[in-house]
Amino acid sequence: MKKKSENKSTSSRRQFLKKSLMTGASMLATGGLIEAYLDTSAAESGEKVKVLTTDGTIMEVDQAHLLLPRVSRAESKKGLPGKKFVMVIDLSRCKNARACVEACQKGHNLPKSMEFMKVYLLQDGEKEAAYWFPKPCFHCDNPLCVSVCPVGATYKRSDGIVLIDNERCIGCKFCITGCPYSTRVFAWKHYPEFDIDKQPYSPEASSPGVEGTVSKCDFCPDLVRVGKLPYCAQACPMGVIFFGDMDEDVVTNGAETFQLSQLLRDRAGYRYLETLGTRPSVYYLPPVDRQFPVDRGFGDLDESVKDRYKETPYVKKNKP
Amino acid sequence: MSVKWVTSQFLKKKFYSKVNVPKAKRIYQMKKEFHLIIIISLFALTLSHQTAFAREESDTAAQISPSLSLNYWCNSNDSATLTARIFFNRDKDMICLKNAVISFSATDGNKIVPLGVAVADSTGNAVLTCSTASLPAKEGMITYNADFTGAGKYLPATGSFSAKPAKLEVSFYEQDSVRYIKVTGTVKDAKGNPVPFADQGIKLYVPSLFRPLPIGEITLDKDGAGNMEFPKTLVGDSLGNITVMAEIEENDVYGNVVASNSIPWAISKHAIQAERPSRELWTPVAPIWMIITLIIMLMGVWAHYVYAVVQLVKIKKSSKKDPYAIK
Amino acid sequence: METPYNQSDLLKEFSPHLERTSVLQMIWIVFLLGVIGLGGFALYTQISKGHIVTGMRDNVVWGIYIVNFIFFMGVSYAGALISGSLHLFRAEWRKPIIRIAEFITIIALLIGPCYILLCIGRLDRLPYLVLFGRIQSPITWDVIAISTDIFGCIIFLYLALLRDIAQIRDFKEISLPKWKKKMYSFLALGYTGTPEQQKRLQNATDIMAAMVISIAIIVYSVLAWIFSVTLQPGWHSTIFGPYFVIAAVFSGCGIMIITMWLFRKIYHLEHYITRRHFVNVGVLMLVLAALFGYFTFSDYLTKWYGSEKNDELLIQLLFKKYYWLFIISNYVGVLLPMIVVGIPKFRTINNITFSAIVVVLALWINRYLIVVPTLESPYLPIQDSRPEWLFYNATWVEWSLTAAGVAVFALLMTLASKFIPVVNVSEMGDKPVPEEEIL
Repeated sequence: MKKKSENKSTSSRRQFLKKSLMTGASMLATGGLIEAYLDTSAAESGEKVKVLTTDGTIMEVDQAHLLLPRVSRAESKKGLPGKKFVMVIDLSRCKNARACVEACQKGHNLPKSMEFMKVYLLQDGEKEAAYWFPKPCFHCDNPLCVSVCPVGATYKRSDGIVLIDNERCIGCKFCITGCPYSTRVFAWKHYPEFDIDKQPYSPEASSPGVEGTVSKCDFCPDLVRVGKLPYCAQACPMGVIFFGDMDEDVVTNGAETFQLSQLLRDRAGYRYLETLGTRPSVYYLPPVDRQFPVDRGFGDLDESVKDRYKETPYVKKNKP
Repeated sequence: MSVKWVTSQFLKKKFYSKVNVPKAKRIYQMKKEFHLIIIISLFALTLSHQTAFAREESDTAAQISPSLSLNYWCNSNDSATLTARIFFNRDKDMICLKNAVISFSATDGNKIVPLGVAVADSTGNAVLTCSTASLPAKEGMITYNADFTGAGKYLPATGSFSAKPAKLEVSFYEQDSVRYIKVTGTVKDAKGNPVPFADQGIKLYVPSLFRPLPIGEITLDKDGAGNMEFPKTLVGDSLGNITVMAEIEENDVYGNVVASNSIPWAISKHAIQAERPSRELWTPVAPIWMIITLIIMLMGVWAHYVYAVVQLVKIKKSSKKDPYAIK
Repeated sequence: METPYNQSDLLKEFSPHLERTSVLQMIWIVFLLGVIGLGGFALYTQISKGHIVTGMRDNVVWGIYIVNFIFFMGVSYAGALISGSLHLFRAEWRKPIIRIAEFITIIALLIGPCYILLCIGRLDRLPYLVLFGRIQSPITWDVIAISTDIFGCIIFLYLALLRDIAQIRDFKEISLPKWKKKMYSFLALGYTGTPEQQKRLQNATDIMAAMVISIAIIVYSVLAWIFSVTLQPGWHSTIFGPYFVIAAVFSGCGIMIITMWLFRKIYHLEHYITRRHFVNVGVLMLVLAALFGYFTFSDYLTKWYGSEKNDELLIQLLFKKYYWLFIISNYVGVLLPMIVVGIPKFRTINNITFSAIVVVLALWINRYLIVVPTLESPYLPIQDSRPEWLFYNATWVEWSLTAAGVAVFALLMTLASKFIPVVNVSEMGDKPVPEEEIL
């Protein structure tokens, strides 16, 4: 909360009183008052809501699930009108906190072995910088996965989002081999987490999961419909993930908002493996002027997660 | 709540019994008493409500004290929007109290004007918009209060915000074929006459899907006016209309002040993205050349099959005619 | 020119096989049923517990089921080659072995697609392939192509069998149960051998032979394109279409020789299937081995020389983890048939059959090395701590189902030979065509 410079006409006592009255009350206010004014539904995911009924009894429901309406399968084939979604990921800030991975898994009721958002430790060449690379689905404008689906279970909507209809998917896994970015995951069995969600299935929610079908990051259209950012963008503590509408040229990570064209121009945004011709909708900002060294990403990790990176050239050389 | 009422009553009695005292002295006394009342109320609040200062709390406590934070925005049409957020903390989670009934009021220290009631939604926010025209003000300063009377195991909570009303106005003009956004600010002086809002920083935004996009900051000069060039790269709606919002953030006296205005100077939204293609490899409907090629190939092959089967059928037919056929 | 065989003599020789089943054959059939039963149990495990019981995981999503699918589809090209093209060339020597080739074609075509079904996650939605098929998808092309191929091969087989069936129907010295007699007379369509019928049959067979060859090429190319149209580094190769076709015909030859040897031993067909047949098909195998080696070499040379990063990664994987498999598949499998058939001293029936067995094995491994290592070396490195997610290891479920597939193949071949004479009785009795008239 930024404090303005002192206004001469106010007495210091009045200031003190006002301050003390408001201290406790506004301790947890979301940053940026104008955001709350314009978007009163801004809320963190994972927050619980206590519904206070008239007879004084309490019902506790997860915030996200309470709010999110689900559209039918037919409706989910149509995109949100007049929009084209794009994501920008700032590699100079990512320190492998994995809040995005976990928030996404929680929001979509996924088991630990299925990750829609994956974080890689990449190093393009021996002498080049290593960096943490969060990778959602790129929702390509020339999606090979959609081209190869034999039954039309996966489709690209007018708003650019590529969704999977798990009631149509036959599980042939051709789309998994079709994606050069290893984005899609398969439900190899009926995981217990699939039973958490009792609402009817909607491709926009990608939940509840269906055994024997393919699923992937979906840019959370069910959240976007109610004006919220996707789970990963909301959860990232470093504000790495920006999301927005390319047509209106604005992206935001919840706290900072930029014009997309300006951001990409000033920070030299690029798309991963551009030469494959898939035309992704996710841009990356190069890891210049890193906020944290790469090693910070190994800090609080579980052993099983740390083990993932032990064969990477960076770990073999530097042994962090 | 009751303590406050008592103090306000006390205030009223004290106030009205001093009619014969000279005005300056009365004002001075009023000021002193006002401060005293505030201090007493504060103390009373701290003791009885345990609210607005401390974070909550333990899970297992039978009674929970929620916190109530009140935010205020002054609009450009003599109205104010009050948002009360009611919540409490458990472990690290912030839990909102949906359906809590919050009542709003405005006061100048003596008179209390109820503004209405709003119910908290699923984010714990209760929003109310009221007119600032005839609200009781103490030297122009209006204190807004939000009260939650408590329900079940939830104890009452209150929040408060004091501010003077101010007014901003956003306008547009063109000069030497350069386009500008102009913002003027006015406040009311002690007598209630409008005076320019000088030396004030204004932030300008345009709305977008999730969060408003900041487009610049200007400072109002001594005449309460400021301008900036209209950015050429902004994208509006399909007709090029765009709304520019001006905001004063967290001013100590005036709180938050907002104003907005629209103009069709932005880039038309769909001038940027071309129409999406309808027949590609990844569309539901295949490209025409693909369909035609497939049909030709299939027909070519199956025509031969049909020919072979026809031959077989004819063999069968000819055997029926053959008198020497052995059955 | 050889004197034609007497058809009734031939039939007399083969009728015992049609009439009854020996004890040994019964035991063999029971053994095969046992293997198939084990496969059935494995299938039940897979359906009830999900695909997690296989070795496939999120990166290697296609394992030995797809390898088997490609393999069996390739095996079916024995028919396309031997009965189809050799029919058009009117090659006399092929007559005794046509029937075996046609059996192999049909049976392998019926088994191959079953392996795709095993790989599909939601079998209950199989009709969607037809109901909601998207024609931009290579799998839809494959569905269309394979069903066309199966239909075409069944028609072709039926046309070829017609005369034999008519012969059996007419043969009085055979004692068959009544239901079999009825079946033969129904299937014979009242064929009596009148000139008009013969001409019709000849025309139809010629047309279908040409069709079978072209369909075979198209089907296998479509199968190759399923891999080569993706962007996976090891698969995105322009050579895959022709490469797969050559490999398919090569494996067809190999299976052909093995089956010839088996039937020759079991049914004592030494008189009909002579060393000459083995050598001729062996020569075909040699030529195809050379072509196969050439295509493989060409593919890997371009990948290795250009040393694009992901190609290099793939080749490293092939030469480190899969070293011996690579050697067997692409060196031994190519050189052994060339040596055995090429050098006169080694050109014996048993040697040729042994090299055919190695060839078949080598080709299976070659398919494995095409499918699996590419999926193990994607553009984005697999960063996972679980070993079964890093590298593919087929589980007992997958191996049992592979064995069951081979058992079904053997079983169906055995049963087919019990209904139709293994040697083409009627064509053997035909007068040989004068050599001028090829077309």
